[in-house]
Amino acid sequence: MRLWLAAAVFLGVAELAGAQTFTLRGPTGVETIDPGASSATVVVFTSTRCPISDGYNSRLKELFASYSAKGVRFLVVNANGNEPLAEVLAYRTSHTLPYPVYKDEDHTLADRLGARVTPEAYLLKRDGTVAYQGAIDDSPNQARVKQHSLQEAIDAVLAGQPVPRAETKAFGCTIKRTGSSTAR
Amino acid sequence: MTRRLLTVMAATGLLLAAAPAAKIPTLDETAYPRTVAEHKGKVVLVNFWATYCVPCRAEMPQLLKLQQKLKARGFDLVTISADEPEQEGQALQFIQKNSIPAPFYRKQAKNDDKFINGIDPKWSGELPASFLYDKTGKKVKSYFGEVNIASLERDIEKLL
Repeated sequence: MRLWLAAAVFLGVAELAGAQTFTLRGPTGVETIDPGASSATVVVFTSTRCPISDGYNSRLKELFASYSAKGVRFLVVNANGNEPLAEVLAYRTSHTLPYPVYKDEDHTLADRLGARVTPEAYLLKRDGTVAYQGAIDDSPNQARVKQHSLQEAIDAVLAGQPVPRAETKAFGCTIKRTGSSTAR
Repeated sequence: MTRRLLTVMAATGLLLAAAPAAKIPTLDETAYPRTVAEHKGKVVLVNFWATYCVPCRAEMPQLLKLQQKLKARGFDLVTISADEPEQEGQALQFIQKNSIPAPFYRKQAKNDDKFINGIDPKWSGELPASFLYDKTGKKVKSYFGEVNIASLERDIEKLL
């Protein structure tokens, strides 16, 4: 009985931890984001200075147009310590990005999710758990794309199905955290 | 006149200099372990870089200096460009401009996810990234992001 209670408490805590809200700085100030408020939440870490990240702007615009209408929230986040909010907002204007952009000050969200690359995507389910992490698709050159990994994951989550590939990797730029490289 | 000029250029090697540059040898994840194994008996650092990666370009001269300094004591540097085929010309230009010595390669990956995991499952694909191998060919350390050169030199010294 005690064991059952302990397990129930543990599961409850784990669920609560998964559903935790987080904060990001947007154009109007700090916003609290609740994944529970959307059918799914896409977080994409990008950079204003990384050409690989630049190359995904048009693909992100397409995804935003297709899925924000289906209740998916898009958070395009800059966690680079060397790219200030003013630069991020100016980049949004100069590249006519239709989605809001956010600053992850002190890379708190990037640390929480374990993000290290730009561009790198995370798909959060309503309960806050990560359904997918990694590449937006499998090639920086749009003409060579064969796997639309993020899109497939969004479709699966919206359909209540298991995500076909929960994690993929791609080359990109390092998220510039304060401090030096990570040796492992 | 043109023919005479071409003859003079050919004789002086100017035509050779203007000839299209050679390609960068390519390397996939299956050839990677063999490439590392070719350096057995030496300490080797494999550095992944790309022309679009500013910190990669910034750290390269320091890595080359380190290679020059420690080469005679048995340290090898292998560089692998993660550039796409479209950027091969730019990558080659960077290699030539910086006199990056062989062996240098460009990644050939049908699937970047598979390639990255084949090099190191802990690697997320961020650039630059470097991997240090001891004299037996065993990986002893992975560096994600720019390396601290002083710290890297200490790591290499321990293995020489």
